Formats: sequence, C-alpha cells, structure tokens
Amino acid sequence: MNTIADHMQEPPEDIDFAGEYVLGVLGAADRAAAERRIAGDASFAREVADWESRLMPLIDEINPVPPPYALWPRIRAAAGLPADPRAPATQVRAAEPAGFWQSAQIWRWLTAGGFAAAAASLVALFVVPQIAPPPVEAPASKPLVAKMVQDDGKSLFLATVDARLGTVVVQPTTVDIPANRVAELWLIPPGDSPHSLGLLDPTRANAVVVPKELIAALGPHALFAVTVEPPGGGPGGKPSGPIIAKGELSLLL
Amino acid sequence: MNESTDAVLDERDRLRDLLVAVAGGDARAFENLYKSTSAKLFGICLRVVKQRSDAEDVLQDVYSTIWRKANLYDSARASAMTWLAMMARNKAIDRVRSGGVERNSATLDLADDLHDMNPTPTAAAESTDDNKRLDACLGELDVQRRNLIRVAFFEGATYEELASRSGSPLGTIKSWIRRGLLRLKACLER
Repeated sequence: MNTIADHMQEPPEDIDFAGEYVLGVLGAADRAAAERRIAGDASFAREVADWESRLMPLIDEINPVPPPYALWPRIRAAAGLPADPRAPATQVRAAEPAGFWQSAQIWRWLTAGGFAAAAASLVALFVVPQIAPPPVEAPASKPLVAKMVQDDGKSLFLATVDARLGTVVVQPTTVDIPANRVAELWLIPPGDSPHSLGLLDPTRANAVVVPKELIAALGPHALFAVTVEPPGGGPGGKPSGPIIAKGELSLLL
Repeated sequence: MNESTDAVLDERDRLRDLLVAVAGGDARAFENLYKSTSAKLFGICLRVVKQRSDAEDVLQDVYSTIWRKANLYDSARASAMTWLAMMARNKAIDRVRSGGVERNSATLDLADDLHDMNPTPTAAAESTDDNKRLDACLGELDVQRRNLIRVAFFEGATYEELASRSGSPLGTIKSWIRRGLLRLKACLER
C-alpha cells in the first residue's frame, strides 16, 4: 500500500483541518485556531461535527472507569447545587448490563487465573451465603483488613477498610506492573460479580472511595482482587487480565 | 448478550432527554446524567491524561461545562453521547497541551498491529453498523496509517509526539495521517 507519493508532503489543499482537529494531532496554537473557526464559521463547525460522528465508534473501544465517588460532590458544589441528603439513585452502568457477570462467569474468571488452591474457599464463598445466616455487618469501630497475596503467598497489597465511611486504604508492597498496563482493584461480594473500585498506583498508598451502593458489601468474606489491565482498566468495567493478588476481608480483632 | 437495536436507541433517547432537561436547569437530571456517563467520560479522559488526579480535574471541568452549556447541544447534529465524549476528549487534550502533564512516551512500532487496541471479541460482536463501517475503512488503510490514526485519537498525541515515539520524520507522519484522513473520509462516504 505504500507508494512514493505517500512520503511526499501533501499539498495544502489536501489538508483536512477539521479532521486533524478532531483526531487530536494539532498543537495548542492550531487547536486554538480551529476552535475560533468553529465559533465563527458554520460550515467548518459542521465539518468538525461530521468528523466527530465518523470517529465516534472508536470511543466504544475505550473502557469505562468509575471516577472516585468523592468527585460528584465536588462537581455538584462547583455547579452551585445544594448538597443532597437523600441516598443517591442506584448507579446506572450503561456499559455493563446488570447480571452480565453471573456467578458461573466469575467462577470461570477466577479459576482461569490458575490458582486452584483457592478453589475450596471460593466454592464456600458462592455456596455458603445461601445456607448460612446473612453476614453480620461490621461494627463501625472495628476496621476490616485484607491482605492481598499472590499465588505463592507473597503479600502484594494490604487493604484497610472503614466500612462506615466506605473508604479503603490500599498499601502496596513491592509490586511490578508491566509497562503500559495498570493495576485495577475489584470488590467481589460473596456470590456476586467483581465490581471495579478503580485503578491502583502500585508505587504509593491509595485512598479508595467505595461507591455508596457497594458500601454494604464491605463485610467479612467479601474478596478484594487486583488484576493487570490495559490502560484505563478492564474493558467494559469487567476484569480481563490476570489476577496478581487477592485476599478476603476480615475483621481486625 | 447482544443488545437489541431498540435498547441502543432507547439509551440514546434517554441521554438526549437528560441533556435537554439539564439545559433547563434540572439538577436531578444532571445527577442522573453523571451517573450514566461519568465512567465512560472518565475512561476517555484517562486515555489522554495519564495522571488520575489530572483526569479527575478534567472530568470536573467537563461536567461543570455540561451543566452551564447543555443548551448548546444540538440533537440534530450529534447524539448526546457523541457530544459528551467529544467534549471530554477536547478538554483532556487541551489540558495536556497546556503543559505540565505527564505524556505517554512509549515507543511506537508502527509496523506492528497494535493488538491491545483492537476491540475485544465481545465488543466486535456487539458493534453497530457504524462501528463496522469505520472498522472496515480503517482496515483499508495500511498498518502504519491505521496505527497512527488510532494512537492519535485515543491519546490525543500531536504530530511531533507521534514522530518522536515512532522514530519517523515529522513530514512523513503528517503525510501519512493527512492522507489517511482523506482516504478514511472518502471510504466512509462511499
């Protein structure tokens, strides 16, 4: 497909400035020029909108990443809206239809990672909740902890949970994440599918704010897992990469 | 697991109605819009702005702008999600152009098919006609141009960044992308 002509500079009339702007290759000055033209030149604005629609399907390939829960109050305050005392509506996850990750699928995901040793305890996770009494909610004064270990038992992350506030502090030990990959934290309530708690910086302590609708799941026997994911996190808000560490929440007695 | 076309259209209509309500100052609609779209928009910001705290600032700016300027949304011109996604991209790109933000400097091997940027099998199975057409037209470009266009779009990388990361002359990169855009447009309009 390469021809000599490909390597020659295009004549200026062949430059699609609107396309360059939407693609995102322009420097600051050219972007500013394009934005001025959008404001003042209706036909250029239409070309830009056409390019946006043309390239929009690529957006489907970008994985959704839940922002930290604390961001919404900041945005609401910045917009001049009053704080809302009522409980927030249930999170709508447009890219993740409810029930997509049923326990059979999470079972496959968990076992595909190759830690059969954990199988017995995982079976218990999925089976016990149906026959055992519902887990007792953690007393506010007693924090929960989870030591997330890799297959050989080496501890990679230590998580300290305040179930009342819905916050988790995740302290990594020495964790190597491959270049161009990220570490993502998942909360897996007993018998449920993994819920993303966002990306972790493996080089420092992370303060994670748990979405309100998941706070109730922060109890003994819930599982934390860390997977290695492409930039931006697991596609569709679901884990796709290998589990590098996992650990069960337990009461710090 | 395929979503029906109806469900996709319903979601489009729902987001459009929310955005129209936000333009009218409906705070509840604004909160619902945030809940429905913030994870997607945050993912978009994080592809361009690598630092999480910077991406959070960009996302806050995006929603503040939505709240103030939702009346500028024209449903005849673009879907609500297109308008929101492109605003998030533009604000993220403007943020990195203003400097002081960590940029991806990983080497680009343009001859290599960028596997991890290809849609997952699930995404491919669920893709709409528009996705399939864009995919087919990108597939008509040679691999270097296709890779350049994908990386430029996802990361908001400038010509200069693409040249330095791929080790190719700037003129070649510009020529490849410009010609790639022209061919892409021609293909999509066929």
